[in-house]
Amino acid sequence: MNAPHRLAQGGLIDRARPLSFVFDGQAYAGCAGDTLASALMANGVKLVGRSFKYHRPRGILTAGSDEPNALVELRTGPRREPNTRVTTVELYDGLVAASQNRWPSLAFDIGAVNDWLSRFLVAGFYYKTFMCPAKFWEMLYEPLIRRAAGLGRAAGAGDPDHYEKAFAHCDVLVIGGGPAGLMAALAAGRAGARVILADEDFRLGGRLLAERYEIDGKPGTEWVAEIEAELASLPDVRIMPRTTVTSVFDHGQYGAVERVNDHLPVPPEHEPRQRGWKIVAKRAVLAAGALERSIAFGNNDRPGVMLAGAVRAYANRYAAAPGRRVAVFTNNDDGWRTAADAHAAGIEVAAVIDSRAEPPAQFAALGIEVLTGAQVSHVHGGQGVRGIDVVDARGRLTKIDCDVLAVSGGWNPAVHLTCHLGGKPVWSDNLAAFTPGATPPGMHVAGAANGALTLAECLHAGVAAGAMAAVECGFPIASFMMPSAEDEASGVTALWHVEESRAKAFVDFQNDVTVEDIALANREGFSSVEHLKRYTTLGMATDQGKAANVTGLAILADVSGRAIAEVGTTTYRPPYVPVSFGAMTGHHRSRDFRPVRLAPSHQWAEEQGAVFVEAGAWLRAQYYPRDGEKDWLETVNREVTATRASVGVCDVSTLGKIEIEGADAAIFLDRVYTNTFSSLPVGKSRYGLMLREDGFVMDDGTTSRLAPERFVMTTTTAQAGRVMQHLEFCHQVLWPELDVQMVSVSEQWAQFSIAGPRSRAVLRKLVDERYDLSDKAFPHLAAKEVAVGSVTARLFRLSFSGEMAYELAVPARYGDAAIRAIMAAGEEFSMIPYGTEALGTMRIEKGHVAGNEINGQLTARDLGLGRMMSSRKDYVGRVMAQRPALLEPDRPVLVGFRPADRKARLRAGAHFIPLGATVTAANDEGHMTSVAFSPMLGHWIGLGVLKRGPQRIGERVRAYDPVRNGDVEVEICSPVFFDPEGARLYG
Amino acid sequence: MVSFAGLERSTLDGLVRPGHYGRAGATGLLIEERRDLAFASVTAKRGKRFALVNAVNTAFGVALPDGPRRATRGSVTFAGTGPDQWIASADGSEAAGFANKVRARIGPFAAVSDQSDARLVLRLSGPRVCDVLAKGVPVDLHAQAFKPGDIACTVVSYINTQIDMLDDAPTYQLAAPRSMAGSFWSWLTASAAEFGYDVIAP
Amino acid sequence: MRIPCPYCGPRGNDEFIYLGDATVRRPDPQALGASDAFYEYVYLRDNPSGLHQELWYHGGGCRSWLVVTRNTRTHEISDVTFAAGGKL
Repeated sequence: MNAPHRLAQGGLIDRARPLSFVFDGQAYAGCAGDTLASALMANGVKLVGRSFKYHRPRGILTAGSDEPNALVELRTGPRREPNTRVTTVELYDGLVAASQNRWPSLAFDIGAVNDWLSRFLVAGFYYKTFMCPAKFWEMLYEPLIRRAAGLGRAAGAGDPDHYEKAFAHCDVLVIGGGPAGLMAALAAGRAGARVILADEDFRLGGRLLAERYEIDGKPGTEWVAEIEAELASLPDVRIMPRTTVTSVFDHGQYGAVERVNDHLPVPPEHEPRQRGWKIVAKRAVLAAGALERSIAFGNNDRPGVMLAGAVRAYANRYAAAPGRRVAVFTNNDDGWRTAADAHAAGIEVAAVIDSRAEPPAQFAALGIEVLTGAQVSHVHGGQGVRGIDVVDARGRLTKIDCDVLAVSGGWNPAVHLTCHLGGKPVWSDNLAAFTPGATPPGMHVAGAANGALTLAECLHAGVAAGAMAAVECGFPIASFMMPSAEDEASGVTALWHVEESRAKAFVDFQNDVTVEDIALANREGFSSVEHLKRYTTLGMATDQGKAANVTGLAILADVSGRAIAEVGTTTYRPPYVPVSFGAMTGHHRSRDFRPVRLAPSHQWAEEQGAVFVEAGAWLRAQYYPRDGEKDWLETVNREVTATRASVGVCDVSTLGKIEIEGADAAIFLDRVYTNTFSSLPVGKSRYGLMLREDGFVMDDGTTSRLAPERFVMTTTTAQAGRVMQHLEFCHQVLWPELDVQMVSVSEQWAQFSIAGPRSRAVLRKLVDERYDLSDKAFPHLAAKEVAVGSVTARLFRLSFSGEMAYELAVPARYGDAAIRAIMAAGEEFSMIPYGTEALGTMRIEKGHVAGNEINGQLTARDLGLGRMMSSRKDYVGRVMAQRPALLEPDRPVLVGFRPADRKARLRAGAHFIPLGATVTAANDEGHMTSVAFSPMLGHWIGLGVLKRGPQRIGERVRAYDPVRNGDVEVEICSPVFFDPEGARLYG
Repeated sequence: MVSFAGLERSTLDGLVRPGHYGRAGATGLLIEERRDLAFASVTAKRGKRFALVNAVNTAFGVALPDGPRRATRGSVTFAGTGPDQWIASADGSEAAGFANKVRARIGPFAAVSDQSDARLVLRLSGPRVCDVLAKGVPVDLHAQAFKPGDIACTVVSYINTQIDMLDDAPTYQLAAPRSMAGSFWSWLTASAAEFGYDVIAP
Repeated sequence: MRIPCPYCGPRGNDEFIYLGDATVRRPDPQALGASDAFYEYVYLRDNPSGLHQELWYHGGGCRSWLVVTRNTRTHEISDVTFAAGGKL
């Protein structure tokens, strides 16, 4: 396989390392050092993609990450990556890529009919055409448009590769490894600063790789190698190739993506594909270079129309001839280099068309046909350039045969990263380009990114910026021999579009925005750049309009009769290039999406075949199914019945546990709970209710007094972190004068609830016999340190189930041993473990509130807990809970519900409607918060909040649940369904 | 009567076995779980900070650090975790009943809570330890920025973690909440795999 | 953003939880007009352009509540102190 457009010599490719690849099913050969773009070019492949809207044939425009046209689907199967720019894909052996947005094939694409219909597909087309009826949008227009317009297809399967996030810190971050960046890194590095040099290319050098420049009399690439070697020898300089700095954040934080293994078919085992970096830098030097821009003229999007600098890159760096016969269209001296370099590479140069009257003298010796004061008005050829029409100053038309047109409309400094914190670029008439305005704090801009467009200027600016950044970090200025290099300015005279164009003249290639679209938008009143952008979609494609924006707004300035500076730019936002979700997510996907917390009995519960449920970050045992049980309800009924009949155990380690100490600890608790704790005797627990300052219930739990100045508080599982934060706020912000200390001990203790009439009998076998557990010695709400074997444990007599119950806490390392010991001790009583479902059923049977009721929208009064609001002290939320609207007699209040037809099922979330009333919001009287099937009562029961609920016991209402087609007549009753006297707690 | 003797469990039990993992033929990281350390949180009572400094000095011979650093005498270490807050730790014979001992000696000046079971504690070393840590630790661990004796309480892989630099080998000690041990381990080993890592028997 | 915690040093804002205006004071619950004062305290906030003293909780670090003086236009942080007062 011989690549027909591969130049015989030169370039930074390794002809001894051939690589094979496949594009659209066809096999080709490239070399190590190629990009997919240069390899396609070397093989004479010009047609690479179809445009987004009109399905026009497109080729390669650029040689970098600014590429708008040549997007492909890279790789296959679950690794398929859509919208990948061929210009940034490093070629590897076995690479497979396919063109996108075409059917049935790239060369024959049915969707190209859109190009014929383009008269109707102008700016704002969607807004104008698909206005109504609204229903049609979802059903008809959107699917149609999505099919017709578009980019590549997502893989549709999980990415099998691993991604990482990582942090780096440095004194000076240098962004870009071209001449300015290399100098900046060297100046800062020699001064002793910690330097990170990041470059998006796989090879350092920037433009030096693409040009035939010399520095200090040496070829540019040789000079780069010397600088790179010195940088590598400095211990605190880190060179990061294949790394794009994508984002600037406040206070010296930068986002970057390192494509660690994108240049291989599959990452080596144990290695990530990409790494998302967060870099913290005291100073940054932005040396991101400049991006060449095109000129808008008829059919300027045809495959074979390329940026002049890109043509040089392919010829010089990749030894790939973009064509056999090149014409150059330029408004500046830089374009002439392309003619010179093509000529030197043995590519025929058809002509140079310079829109300026005076061509630069230094190129005269080339003997190339030159048309000055002339412009290209039209490109001939459909799927590739066949020739061009040139109009000269007197309006004469000349046709020139060529297969490549190299266009240079000037260079736009890559100011993007200077704008991420709100900086606005400023227009330079001299450069006919925007240059950085106010830069982010700590950022210096050097070289072409700052509008320094000659090599000598870049080198000098790099040294200055690097040295300055190092000095600002406290390092001395290092001595420096300034390299010598060419210093010719390019003398640009702005030219944005060619008036004589007959065919569509494109500005934004990727989103198919033309000169006429911009003019139309302006005529229709969208003359602000921000409106223009949204109306025409200029600059809104995956390339963010790198090649399009400045040209677009210059044309807007022209058609609206304003100066470019007056029109201004749209806002450049992160990221600079598209970033994969993998690089943002790193390790944190699927099971590692967020940390999972496992209770101390987790492994034991797994051995029992427990089914787990997520509760906040925790995985809790939901129920413990046994062989022969047909569904979860049967299991839960068994767990409830067995617990109430004898004894059951549940891991409650997930509750938040906070130790509170200090001389003022009791006062502190009085202020954060609605009820009083200063009166709590040592050795006792009390249920407590906590409000937010706005008067709504925040959390509940029990707090036990271990010593006169020492308490341990429990919180709900879900609110543990919030409560800790709230308590710290109350202490540090509200009442720093109190002597109180608090610390979370949630992780220290494994805690088990042992509930049921035989719970004491089980504990008797566990707790050292010197502790009297009789009801008299250790009554309901007692709390005590006890010995379990050689371990010091905490025993609380607390009940959530309504049964006589205990909570036994042991140091977490013994949690596994404890659950096994508890179950062994309970064996003779047929003890069972129960999960969160049975726990929930039992608390609903007892009318205890939980997360469904403490939802942030209900007050203590709403929950029927108004009696817990002390009137003898102040506490957080007291004043606001007294607001008149919260005391409204009509406010829904907690009551119980049972179905009138006892066989009916209840649903949480159902709304209460009076019998006979129509179902309207006005008739909504409240809603069901929790339901359960009560095995004790043999029917479904529910808790809910209902207008004047407690006064309506015995009445009936509808529980209406349109979401699940539920409409059940329910009877209002006390929320305490089981053992209303509470006799079972004692005994 | 029950006995829990010998039944202590680490959350890594069943999850981890000693051996070599990740890249073959290279050991970038050594991981050693420490189960022998006892911990106690210590918070100065209001207005008792200087008394506490004296009491700690008298009882343990340790100068209580006034910032995020650790100070060690013999087998007892105090590490500063916040204003007026420390984590005390001990190994060897001091570890048994450590929190009670601390309370007995400095109780009048500080709130003391046992935290010996609250944490997964790993000692990390090896030639690539900093490269591994960079994948989750947001704090600058460069030799000029983080020195032996420095500690940091920070968030690693969404998990609150205390990092102590023990020596300039370098060796780091990481402590993460016990219940999140599995997730922490998953992050650590995924991050270390490309360098190869050895799990040392505890 | 990075917030220079006076105990821990500079840290990314993902270690912190934001609360808002640090200048509001919990009113005296016994005073006349306490309910109006609490209404203002709980709900009403200025939205200044420029310097703003605000509460941040360093939950990912030393668990201190901090008063951060931040310029809402530039995010420049000019001062950070412990809400509880005092120095280290």
